[in-house]
Amino acid sequence: MSEVLRIGGLSAGYGPLTVLHSVNLTVAAGERVGLVGLNGHGKSTLLRAIAGLTGWQSGSIRLAGREVGSTRSQGPGRYTHRIVRAGLALMPQGDAIFHGLTVADHLDSGAYTRAAWRDRRRRRERVLAIFPALEKLLDVPVGRLSGGERRMTSLGRGLMADARLLLIDEPSLGLAPRISQELVAALSAIELGDSAMIIAEQNIPLLQGRVTRMLGIHAGRIKGGAEAVQLAGVNLH
Amino acid sequence: MTFDPAYIILTTASLASIYGLLAIGISIIWSSLGMINMAHGFTFAFAGYGAWIAAHTLSASAPAVLLAGIAAGALSGLAIAGVAFIPLYDKPNFPLRSLIATLGISLLGAQALLYVFGPRVKALPRIFGYGRFHLFGIAITADKLGTIICAPVVLLAVLIWARTSRRGLQIRAMMQNPEGAALVGVGLRSTALAVMALTGGLAGLAAVLLSQTYYVSPYSGLTPLLKGMIVALAGGLGSIPGALIAAVCIGFVETLTAVTLGGKFVLITQFLFIIVVLLIRPRGIAGMLEQTRE
Amino acid sequence: MRDQPGLIDTEDAPRRLVGRRIYYRKLRTAGADRWRRLRYPFTRRTPLLLDSAFNPRTLVAERTIVDKRPLYWLAFFAVLAAAGPLAGDTLLGAATIFGIYAAINVIWLLVIGTAGIFSLATLAVVGTAAYGAAYMSIHAGLPWWGMIAVGPVFGLLFGVVIAIPATRIDGFYYALLTLGLTELCRVYVVQSQALGSATNGLYGADGILPDGASLRAQLVVSYYGAVVLLIAALALFRLVNGQRLGRLLRASPERREAFAQALGVDYRTARIKVFLISSAALGVVGGFYAVNFRGASPSLFSMDSLLLLLAMVVIGGIGRPEGAVLGTAIVVAIDRLLIGLGPLRLILVGLIMIGTVLFLHNGLVGIKQQFRNWRDRKRSEHRAKRDIRGGEYMPEEATEVRDKQLIAFRRFQRGVRESLKPLITDDLIEAHRRAPCGPHDDRLSRVLNYFRRASVVDKYAILAVRPFAEYRLVALSGQRGVPPRLIDDRSFATEEEAIHAVFLRRVQDLLES
Repeated sequence: MSEVLRIGGLSAGYGPLTVLHSVNLTVAAGERVGLVGLNGHGKSTLLRAIAGLTGWQSGSIRLAGREVGSTRSQGPGRYTHRIVRAGLALMPQGDAIFHGLTVADHLDSGAYTRAAWRDRRRRRERVLAIFPALEKLLDVPVGRLSGGERRMTSLGRGLMADARLLLIDEPSLGLAPRISQELVAALSAIELGDSAMIIAEQNIPLLQGRVTRMLGIHAGRIKGGAEAVQLAGVNLH
Repeated sequence: MTFDPAYIILTTASLASIYGLLAIGISIIWSSLGMINMAHGFTFAFAGYGAWIAAHTLSASAPAVLLAGIAAGALSGLAIAGVAFIPLYDKPNFPLRSLIATLGISLLGAQALLYVFGPRVKALPRIFGYGRFHLFGIAITADKLGTIICAPVVLLAVLIWARTSRRGLQIRAMMQNPEGAALVGVGLRSTALAVMALTGGLAGLAAVLLSQTYYVSPYSGLTPLLKGMIVALAGGLGSIPGALIAAVCIGFVETLTAVTLGGKFVLITQFLFIIVVLLIRPRGIAGMLEQTRE
Repeated sequence: MRDQPGLIDTEDAPRRLVGRRIYYRKLRTAGADRWRRLRYPFTRRTPLLLDSAFNPRTLVAERTIVDKRPLYWLAFFAVLAAAGPLAGDTLLGAATIFGIYAAINVIWLLVIGTAGIFSLATLAVVGTAAYGAAYMSIHAGLPWWGMIAVGPVFGLLFGVVIAIPATRIDGFYYALLTLGLTELCRVYVVQSQALGSATNGLYGADGILPDGASLRAQLVVSYYGAVVLLIAALALFRLVNGQRLGRLLRASPERREAFAQALGVDYRTARIKVFLISSAALGVVGGFYAVNFRGASPSLFSMDSLLLLLAMVVIGGIGRPEGAVLGTAIVVAIDRLLIGLGPLRLILVGLIMIGTVLFLHNGLVGIKQQFRNWRDRKRSEHRAKRDIRGGEYMPEEATEVRDKQLIAFRRFQRGVRESLKPLITDDLIEAHRRAPCGPHDDRLSRVLNYFRRASVVDKYAILAVRPFAEYRLVALSGQRGVPPRLIDDRSFATEEEAIHAVFLRRVQDLLES
């Protein structure tokens, strides 16, 4: 299996604050990785660092074999659009939604890259198959939708592009348990093919059984790694 | 002057077209780039001079002068983006600093124009001819008719383009949420350049149209800038329909004042109008309708 | 390591004292003198922030002036006072303009800095007061002191006009509104017959000196008047910004009004108050302007004057009076002393203004803070780099922990743990299970040696519930008098089993660390 993401020695932070400390992480194609950890331990920062949205960062991030995470000390978001065009889709906390645009506009904006734009109608069908609830809402401005519908729109927007790597930040945040269950189920049903998905989530039971592996993040470091946790567990019980 | 409804409607329409061109530019810049472009007046004056140069060196035909004005306006818009937006947009305190930078450009630009072209005013050729038409029983000059036809057509084209095209979606996405736009692959800087070129072109068109009645001078952008700002404010910064409604309202107020009280009181009544509007609705006519950038 | 004074103390390195900030000049002091301070009469407030301490190395009592700004101000005032008789005519004229504009800017600072409202109507207030005073002097024969007295009345009237919208409209809306108001004033003044549209200004008002006085005397009197005005403006700034009203205003900047209201701050009243105070003060300046120039001109309302005024504040930096004075000095010097440049002067001012805005976050006075922010960011990145090379334990902790030995110890422990982790294999655990009490091979001995050295806090121990029949695992509290706590509900029949269970727990802890 080919590698989609390889992070080596990534440190990142905001101003004088270092949030991520020398993180190493490799994600192969077809993998669905759960990134779990408490509030404020760097889950979102890791995802934002991959998208180039942190205050500063250093270390290497290779997305589908291309270096996208050069060391930089300023300009959060300056290169984000290039990283996105290289095959990243980040569905951030708070959805980064365009309030005045309709759901249809929204989904189209996800297919912004030139190649995807021509193909947008077919892609929209595909997304609507994953989130059928959006079908009826296509002409409604997103500002009028409920939290769950907004999250679906945001996720759908991310799925419109040909992303090699899907980053989903806290899909359950602020939603009723049943809705977040449905969302995560829909996410785990997506056919990944040669792309990969990272879901950052606080609620571990929500992800159990729905991801290929689970990684803990603690105080800005990937903790232990799945292998070490497994080894100790096998020998103990 | 007589109190003639047809005359008032036509004058309102021609004023509203020009104000609309400027106000929509200011509004789009504010909502998509988060910057108040105080150098819009400079763009206006610069485009006037650009059209004047074209008229004297290339040809005095309508398309040449109009295109030269639009091109000069777009060029000036790109220059403003290069100085006031691109180096600043991710720095702290951006809104205030970009406001000051554009004010600096307008100070610098007016002086530079004064230095290069001298204090004497220039007149553009009458690109629509000197004819008079009779419409609804009143006489109307060719330049007014040209304005009434030309500006709305261009505005409509721009609005339709913004609604349907990929670039338009990109600009609308950035107006709503710059980070979200970056996350779908919209480049902030290239969009900013596109926006500034577009709005600069609109200002250039307005400059050529208005210069049919007024002269081109280094400070000729100041009054249009202020009126455009008034319209954009009254309409609610960032709202295109609001700006259009406000352009019609302000044009109507101006015409009515000029007819009943006299031209001296135009600014005063306009100000009273905008103060009343803002006191009732602090975010303008449409500011509350749409949730755009604060 | 060079940037850490006191760490290196070799022959060739310059001798530095521990923890001393070398760029602070130390004053000698002794005995009770250490506690003596210059104080304002009848208060406990001191003009100079003095810090007295013993030098940790030499044990000599020293005092440091932490904030030297009062001294700089004093020197500035001394120069201003001495300039009157010494400076030439051109310089004195420029200095008079500087004094007037600096006073305007310092008062303006109360609105854009302290209250955080971007009002551009400042010059309009000054102009209105100047026109009002000049008009009354020409038509009602008001003497010069009466003009200065009547200025604040006009200023106050204008202040009421601009204060009312300020409670409802904010941000750019207010800035553009006030800009439009200024333009409105200009158009009105230019068109009004009564205000001298024909003569390009309203002239013929009363001056301080009678008409026959020499030019030099007039210049000197004007200059000292402007200096007094500047000092009064600075005192007003201090009085408003440093006292209750200033606190209220700074607690409720734009967009934070709701928080301030939740704290009980009545920001609307505070804003109206600051508008009225600053407008009245600007009215005084306007009255003085009319006296000084024997009238008023419409250029007060022009966009260029406003832009120049803004350039002064922007170049200096918004928020501190030093910035306003410094920026005014720079712009007035360019505008009045480089007359030979002609229209290029304004272009130069515009270039400086744009350059300031592009490169500085808050003008010249903000350079220090900007430099510190930049340094902090660079340091953090540098620390992160060291961390990548397998450096210390945690970059944040390394700065917070004062005891550097602790950091070294943690780093050592981390190294030990990292070297032990690869030793833990299924074979090793199996070997321990077979013979918990030994004999152990070399690898297992190493691991066990590390475990034995663990801290007593939370150290695992075995509790014999019934000797030779039932053993449980406990963790020591590490505190005298606090009993150990049971860590799970498993019980073991033999001591060996319990020892192995402790071993497994420690292995797990090691791998998780």
